[in-house]
Amino acid sequence: MKTPRIVRNKIALAGLIVILLYVLMSIVSLFWLPFNPVAMNSAEVLQGPSLASGHLFGTDEFGRDVLSRIMKGTSVSFIISVSATALGAVIGIFMGVWAGYLGGKTDNAIMRFADILFAFPSLLLAIFIMAILGEHTYNVVLAIGIVYIPQFARISRGSIIALKGNEFIRAAKSNGAGRTYILRHHLLPNITAPLIVQISLSLSTAILLESALSFLGLGVQPPDPSWGNMLSSARKVMMFAPWTAIYPGLAIVLLVLGFNLLGDGLRDILDPRLRNVR
Amino acid sequence: MHETTILQVEGLVTEFKSERGIVNAVNKVSFDLERGQTLGIVGESGSGKSVTNLSILRLIEYPPGRITGGKVLFHDQDLLSVSENEMLSIRGKHISMIFQDPLTSLNPVIKVWKQIAETLMLHQGMKKQEAKKQAIELLRIIGIPDPEMRAECYPHQFSGGMRQRVMIAMALSCNPDILIADEPTTALDVTIQAQILDLIREKKEQYQTSVIMITHDLGVIAEMCDQVCVMYAGRIVERAGVEALFGSPKHPYTRGLLESIPRMGNVGTQRLHSIKGSPPDLANLPPGCPFRDRCDKAMDICASQLPPEVVLQEAEGERTVACWLYPQEGKHGRA
Repeated sequence: MKTPRIVRNKIALAGLIVILLYVLMSIVSLFWLPFNPVAMNSAEVLQGPSLASGHLFGTDEFGRDVLSRIMKGTSVSFIISVSATALGAVIGIFMGVWAGYLGGKTDNAIMRFADILFAFPSLLLAIFIMAILGEHTYNVVLAIGIVYIPQFARISRGSIIALKGNEFIRAAKSNGAGRTYILRHHLLPNITAPLIVQISLSLSTAILLESALSFLGLGVQPPDPSWGNMLSSARKVMMFAPWTAIYPGLAIVLLVLGFNLLGDGLRDILDPRLRNVR
Repeated sequence: MHETTILQVEGLVTEFKSERGIVNAVNKVSFDLERGQTLGIVGESGSGKSVTNLSILRLIEYPPGRITGGKVLFHDQDLLSVSENEMLSIRGKHISMIFQDPLTSLNPVIKVWKQIAETLMLHQGMKKQEAKKQAIELLRIIGIPDPEMRAECYPHQFSGGMRQRVMIAMALSCNPDILIADEPTTALDVTIQAQILDLIREKKEQYQTSVIMITHDLGVIAEMCDQVCVMYAGRIVERAGVEALFGSPKHPYTRGLLESIPRMGNVGTQRLHSIKGSPPDLANLPPGCPFRDRCDKAMDICASQLPPEVVLQEAEGERTVACWLYPQEGKHGRA
């Protein structure tokens, strides 16, 4: 039995392990947390990290346990980044491949729409959508997803256009393959490499975007914890209680790194041309 | 249309829009393909040989290309007027094609067996496992050693010759009536070329397939074909049986082509012959014969009027030639 390629690829494996640790943490958080993440405790305000008190990552300005809040925030960040990326990727790739494949007026209509979305800086666009939709976790997903649509559309359109002039597409046509068939079986498998890179980048920027939105008070609403609103509230006290900012920040950095490593590794794994010849 | 004619192309016109105007890449081309026969189409780059055959399968990209006239009769059905869906069931099943460059004609990210099985699943409704078995069998038939293992490979793990073999396996998988081979050996080594040509000939005889062989290599024509069409600037200038054509070429262009084949005996003693000048600009064709500027037999009439196709009855069979040197000798062919 051969070891799966993902295990042999060190980079992808490292990324996968990091992500699995986070998944584990978010599952654990559903059943057990060291402390109640929203219960305030005025007796233990801004305690430093210590084993004795049980607050491993210290407490924040309301005496809430930082570790519990990070753990609780993991599932929020995860759900938001995965579903927002999925939303943007599915719609964006669908639009992009048809635009690229059909060309002409369809292409023009789809891509001008994407250009309009692209004209706004992503954070600004997300803030704009949040302002329209109102502050809610689902709306964060929607806002980030919409921000992603043009990015995926553009990447997939470009790759499809580069590909569709290839002889093998013509060969597939000459074998009687129809339009949808060629798109699904010949074009899509060939653009997975750029898309996977984009997905891994998107997963990580979604976490950053969600943090930014929460930081600005537009994302996950207090008292529910998210890494972004933890950083936001830590801003006032981080000069004398740095742990309130460092640990949520680290949580973000590590997960972003994990997604990027996995994406990088996956790209190498999924492209047969980069594999070792057996 | 004879009993034995399987494909009849009549007055085919394909044009491309370019920045400099409309280019008639194929201009009123007519020919018949008989069952079990190999028809060669020869001509230099840009003479319209490939476009003619892509037009038969309606594989011309629109825009910029468009088929604007003519008929392609296959089993009494005009392929130019059937629906795209009907076309899908003709391509690969009844008429299939091999392309010039085997390095780019296979999808790099799909395993070899899957690409062959694809055609089987599309046209013969085979299930995946059944199609895989058949694909491996086809690989064995076309002479790939250890086909079970090779089937699991990706195209980049195959050599050029093996990839062309795979293309042939794909093209023959549904046992088509017509196989169009677009310069199947141009991108290959000479030794591999012979193997591939042998393979095509062998399978052609085995399955009673008619073949259209597009090439610029007269050696391939001499070896493979029964009938030959010589194309120049989007037209067929001469059409004859292979022996008649090589034995006594009639059109000055055909003669020029035959004279430019290097011969062993003359090495070092004689300069290679070449046809002077270059092909005309298709976007800007002058009236008259497109070959006249390069022709050493040009007459006054060549500058003003396009020569019609003239049918000559010869001992070896019928010959068509479009040149004013042979005026009204027989009855007019298709202009």
